[in-house]
Amino acid sequence: MRNNPFSISLAVVILFASGLNIAAELPPLTHTLSAISKTIRAPELRLRNMDEEFVDIKDLKGKVVVVNFWATWCPPCRREMGSLERLHLATKDKNVVILAVNIGEDLDTVFSFLGTVEPSPSFPMLFDPDAESLGRWKVLALPTTYIIRPDGTIAFRAVGGREFDHPNIKKAITRLNH
Amino acid sequence: MNIKISLLVFFLFSMTCIAATPQTHQVNSVTGAETWKTQSHGVHFSLTQILPEQLQAFYVNRGFSLQQIEPYISSCVYMAVVRNDKAPGTIHFISNDWQVFVDGKAHPLVSVESWMQRWKNNNIKQSAQIAFRWAQFPPEQKYDPGGDWNQGMLSIGLPTGTRFDVIARWNIGSKAYETKLQGVQCAQ
Repeated sequence: MRNNPFSISLAVVILFASGLNIAAELPPLTHTLSAISKTIRAPELRLRNMDEEFVDIKDLKGKVVVVNFWATWCPPCRREMGSLERLHLATKDKNVVILAVNIGEDLDTVFSFLGTVEPSPSFPMLFDPDAESLGRWKVLALPTTYIIRPDGTIAFRAVGGREFDHPNIKKAITRLNH
Repeated sequence: MNIKISLLVFFLFSMTCIAATPQTHQVNSVTGAETWKTQSHGVHFSLTQILPEQLQAFYVNRGFSLQQIEPYISSCVYMAVVRNDKAPGTIHFISNDWQVFVDGKAHPLVSVESWMQRWKNNNIKQSAQIAFRWAQFPPEQKYDPGGDWNQGMLSIGLPTGTRFDVIARWNIGSKAYETKLQGVQCAQ
């Protein structure tokens, strides 16, 4: 049974179907951000985007930056991706930049997944194939998201899936400009 | 001296808040996967069976061969969810502090580290190792109240069909808390 390719294909179908059902049983995505009370500068982040050009967070000083660490196989990461795009659409003209850092996957995998997200993300996707940024950013699980102030210090952290276009979150993020 | 130690043990024991809240049990009507969950001290804790076929598909798609991932598939794996809804502060846990009991006898959880060491020794490709590592329930984590949470795979290390109780522990500052799920069963 376990070496039969048909069984594997069937299992993939089962995984897809059951994954949806497992997701349906999960707690809903939340609407809060944890304020970081200490003054902590955002760690280094310089990674290639989908066009294989380097993006460096240092070059985004003066903007509010949302840094989301994710992977296509991570159910809450998949669930929150559409809300990140809606946040992007609502705040791209308000000095807010979103960077999604994919962990350990290749361009084809990410590209295929993005086509399934509604609305499809138009903000920069960065690639960390060796997962080396996670240690620097003290990420202990996916998804984890940091919100960086225009001065380069960390304002908020969110561990686990969020509904990023919730009014509370949008308000907290855009207020960082003031 | 012994009295002091006894007092210290008593003091530490009395500092732990043990939940006596009810647990719920659900069966997924499509897959048959079972979920056990509880809400204690403002913290949600649940375990959902991940069926062997699901694990097989997930890890083969990430670059493992069936033979390589078989020991993990047969180790009784759950999707664990912990979420700080409204605990009175930031919770911190180390999952190695959690305990599993089979017929009252303590049984250690299989650590993420031990699986990673096995994959390193077996020369599993790096992208597969990264997916495995980050798909696991975090060995250590902090959740702020209001909804920090994670879901991840948790390897119990028991044969299929085994029934067990599990105690999850966390701290808020120096105060210890724990909750228990009883009669959880490894997928058949």
